[in-house]
Order: sequence, then structure tokens, then C-alpha cells
Amino acid sequence: MDPTNGRQARKGGLVPFLSATRSGIVEVLTPLLLATALALGAQAAPPTTIPEMWGAWCARCHADDGSGQVKEPTITVVPMDLRDCRWTTAEPDADWQRAIAKGGPGVGRSSEMPGFEDSLTPSQIAGFVTHMRGFCTDTRWPSGNSNFPRPIITEKAFPENEFVLLPAVSHETEPSSAPATDVSLVATYERRLGRRAMYEVSIPFYNWDFQSSRDSEIGDVAVAFKYAAFSSATTPGIVSFGLETTLPTGQLYKEFGKGTVVIEPFVAAGTMLGSWYVQASSKVELPVDTLVDRAYLYNLYLGRDSSAAPNSWTLGVELNGENRKLWITPQIRKGLTGTGALAASLGVSIPVKYRGEKVVSWVGYLVWEFLEPFRSKR
Amino acid sequence: MGRLSGLGILGAIPFKTLSAEVLGCLGAVVLGAQVLGAQTGSITGTITTTAKGLATIRVTIDQKVCGNELPDQAIVVDGQGHLANAVVILAGLKRQAAAETTITNDKCAFAPRVQIVRPNANVKATSKDPVLHTTHAQTDSGRTLFNVALPIPGLTITKPIGTAGNVRLVCNTHPWMRGWMVVTDDAAAISAADGRFALDNIPPGTYELRIWHESLKSAPQKITVTAGKPTDLTVQMK
Repeated sequence: MDPTNGRQARKGGLVPFLSATRSGIVEVLTPLLLATALALGAQAAPPTTIPEMWGAWCARCHADDGSGQVKEPTITVVPMDLRDCRWTTAEPDADWQRAIAKGGPGVGRSSEMPGFEDSLTPSQIAGFVTHMRGFCTDTRWPSGNSNFPRPIITEKAFPENEFVLLPAVSHETEPSSAPATDVSLVATYERRLGRRAMYEVSIPFYNWDFQSSRDSEIGDVAVAFKYAAFSSATTPGIVSFGLETTLPTGQLYKEFGKGTVVIEPFVAAGTMLGSWYVQASSKVELPVDTLVDRAYLYNLYLGRDSSAAPNSWTLGVELNGENRKLWITPQIRKGLTGTGALAASLGVSIPVKYRGEKVVSWVGYLVWEFLEPFRSKR
Repeated sequence: MGRLSGLGILGAIPFKTLSAEVLGCLGAVVLGAQVLGAQTGSITGTITTTAKGLATIRVTIDQKVCGNELPDQAIVVDGQGHLANAVVILAGLKRQAAAETTITNDKCAFAPRVQIVRPNANVKATSKDPVLHTTHAQTDSGRTLFNVALPIPGLTITKPIGTAGNVRLVCNTHPWMRGWMVVTDDAAAISAADGRFALDNIPPGTYELRIWHESLKSAPQKITVTAGKPTDLTVQMK
């Protein structure tokens, strides 16, 4: 049947990489500052440290404390409150660096935020990101540097606020029966809980070919809880543990459900190798009814972005295993909006073992990160 | 214009080293220009308005640099109603303006406030002020062409202007600041403080004269240019 078996992945992550490239500014800036200081004479000296620069320049809109609340606003939009750790920690350094370098439009935000890539050095921009992250004083939030793009099937380790639709079309060619095309659609709602946890609810819809007729049913509804146990703030890396419980809401006799509660502990992890995203997840399905077979599932994803923009193309490939069966799933992902908060992915699962059981499954997702400010290449 | 391009090369040669032959050629070129002038006409005129100048802007931020008050240059008019910063465009007569222009943030105002810029020209944004300025270029429809930060004086950033029509410049840290770039490859001139403008070397014919101003309007009008004779007019904007 469908190789994803309704277990298509929830999400994905990334690596620090500054996209801003310029020349000359580094060499020019320091003499300019010195010359300016001399020229100004009795006037206040120009800012030289990151906190001084923040106070002189960024605080005009973002306020000294990052709150975005200023006495004399000069812009029409209200900047996000950088003291709110939900904003300040959820995305990687590269996203914030791009926002400062390219300005708001570079990450799908307001054009009232100017670009600083021609007036600051990359190291200064990185310094501003560090300074900005400091407005969140609670260090228990997992670092957004481990928030990688979602693979189609592999579980994403970083907790998210997302709504995901995961369609799959499988064409089955068993030797003993006529070809059949099955369609499934899994709707998943994910919501963060506190700093490191997340819950999700998944409802699968199936439309299966029974040769003499097609039948549509709701499958087994799943509820999951995930906790990011480890996340590095400096080197991208995250490990999450979770527990999913599948309820027997689907009909057993037509194989829309397993007919029993299934307890599914899982682990998901992600890191970066150079500019490559590496993500993996593993899960054990433990049916309460011992007559139902247990299953062991394992996934590995490798992918990278084609550009630094949040709406970049991301190319990837997954290995997806279930017990002794194995599929390879090449895939492509694209941010559909300037912030990358709306994205779609398309892939094809090809069996590399049990080749005769199934020819191909087209899989994908449409994801809406409803509380994400932006996303870009790491 | 192309006929006179050789002068650029001569300009690099010290005058005393020029041979009689070269000077002879120079004379021929100048004579050619005179002949050209005799075959063309010109338009001069005055832009006026009954509108009054605007009240000064009270500055509430960066007063040490900007001052406590600034003139509102949205309408610059003298006591006789002569209007400055109106752009007179002779539609259809192509002229190649400079490929590069400069906009300076000076005492919390864009200088110059109004410029004529050729399509795809490079704009050099710079600042003299020791405060953060942004030079934010927008099209008529509000689309952002670029928005660059100028946090320190002396820094110059170059950006392409594209082919858009009228470009508005704003500063996101000093909201009263306005600048305009009229992007055109038509012959054009900006009215001076006395409202006067001049367009020279215009082949005889009938043209449409359009006048743009950031706050005022006037209807396009047909104008006939005669060789060797200046055409003078007065246009009132409302």
C-alpha cells in the first residue's frame, strides 16, 4: 500500500551561512568612522561597538530594549517584539543576518526595514544578530539554528507551529491482482507547548481502489507529543523524543485502520554537514492488541538549499524503511511566499526492496508555518 | 550630441600643446555646433502657481543635526508666484541624461529634492549627517526599488534606478524627508527658484509639453518650436 502509510513526516532545519557579500566596506568603514569623529569635533562620537550602534541606529525603530515601542515612531509598521523568545529563538542566525543585510523585503517583511549590507561588515551584522538574540533572556528555548526545512517523511525534530497537508498517490502493481491507485491525505496540526515541547493531531483521509469500487474513509487519528531534549545554540544540532498514539478510528476490515490503539515512541534528530541538512527519525509501532504486528520505521534525509532566500528551492533525498522494506524518496521543496512561511514539497517514493510490490508513490506536502517570521538558507 | 563627442578627447590635451591643425578642427566643430544651433529652436518659460508655500516642519527627532524647524519643500514658491522644482518634459524628444546621479542626505533633507534621471541610471546615495538615514526609493505604485541604510556620513551606496516613471525617495528615520526622481529619456528641465526653465537644441516641430510637480498639476499642451527662434511661455500649475 502507500509506503508512507500515513506516517509522512512533520518537518525539517538548517546551518549558519551569511549570504551577504560585499567588498570594500570592511576596509572603508573604520577610516570613515575615524574621519567622522574628527570632523564632528565637539559633536558626539560615532558609535563603534555593537550596543552603541544598536542604540544609535536600530533603536530608532526597535527601541533600546528590542520591544519596538518608541516614543517617536518614524515608520508605519510596528516592529516585532524581540524580547519575545518565540520570535527571537525560532529561526536561525542566517535568517536574521539576511534580514539585516537585505532589509525587510529580503525575508518577506516590511520594506521600511533598510538593508545594511553596504554599510556594515558581515561580522558586524552577525554581532547585531547576537545582540538581538540577547533580548530573549530565557536560554532554555531551543536555538533556531537547528530549525531545518521539513522533509516529506522524516520526522522533524524542531518543535513548530504549523498546519500541514500531506497528500500521497500510490500505484500498486502486485503480481496477483490488477493494478490499483490509492490516494491518501493527512492533515496535521502542530502547536508548540512552552519552550521545547509540541503536540500534534493528524487525521488521515483515504481513497482506495478496491478494483470493483473506490472507497473513501477516515483512517486512524493520531495524537503526538514531542520534546526537544537537546539543542545546541552554537553548532546546529537537535534531538527530540516523542510519543505518538494512534487511535482505532479507521475501519479495520478495509485496512483503513489497524483496529487497535498503537503506541509509537519515536526519536528525531537533525544537524548540518557543511551546507547539507541531515535529519533522521526512528519510530517503533507497538499495538496494544498483541495479535497486530509490531513495526520498526526509520528515515534518513539529506538536502540543501539552492539559494539564501526564504523562498529558495531545497533539493533532498530520503531513505525510508519499515521493517525490512526500504524506499528512496528524492524530493524538492519550494517556499511559496517571501517569508517562506508557506511552502510545498513534492517527491516520489521508489521501493528499493520488495520491488515487485509497488511501483511508485508520489508524495508531498503543503505547509503553513503560521507563526514563523521567515526562513532562509543556513 | 554625438557630433561633439570629440571634444571630450580634446579636453584632455593641454591647450598650449594643440597644433594649428587641431585648433582648426576644433573651430570646425564649434562652427558645426553654431550651424546646428541655427537649425534648432529652444523653449524657455516660467512656471507659476497661485498656491502658497507650506508651513515649516517642526522637527521632533535628531534636532542637533536637523535643527528645530525645516522648510516644507513640497511647494517652493517665491513672492511673485514663481514655482521651483517643476519638471518640464518635452515628450518624444530623446535626450541622453547622465548615467549616474547622486542623492545626498544633508541636514535631514534630500539634496537635490527633484532630479531628472535617465532610465537604468545608477543612483549614488550618500549622507553628510551623523545620524542614521535611509534612502528608500519607491515607484508611483509604492513598490520598493531599494532601501539602503546610511548610518555614517561619507558612505556612498550605488543602486540602479530601473526604468520606472516617477520615483519617490523617503527616509524611514526622518519621515518628513522627500525626494523625487523623474526617470525619463525625454528632453527635460527643472524650474529654478525663479520658476524659469530652458530647453535648447530642439529640432523644429510640434511637441507635447508635460509638466510634473510633486504637489501641483497642469494639463499637457502642444507647443511648436521654430528654428533659430526661442519659444517662450508661462505655465500656471494648480
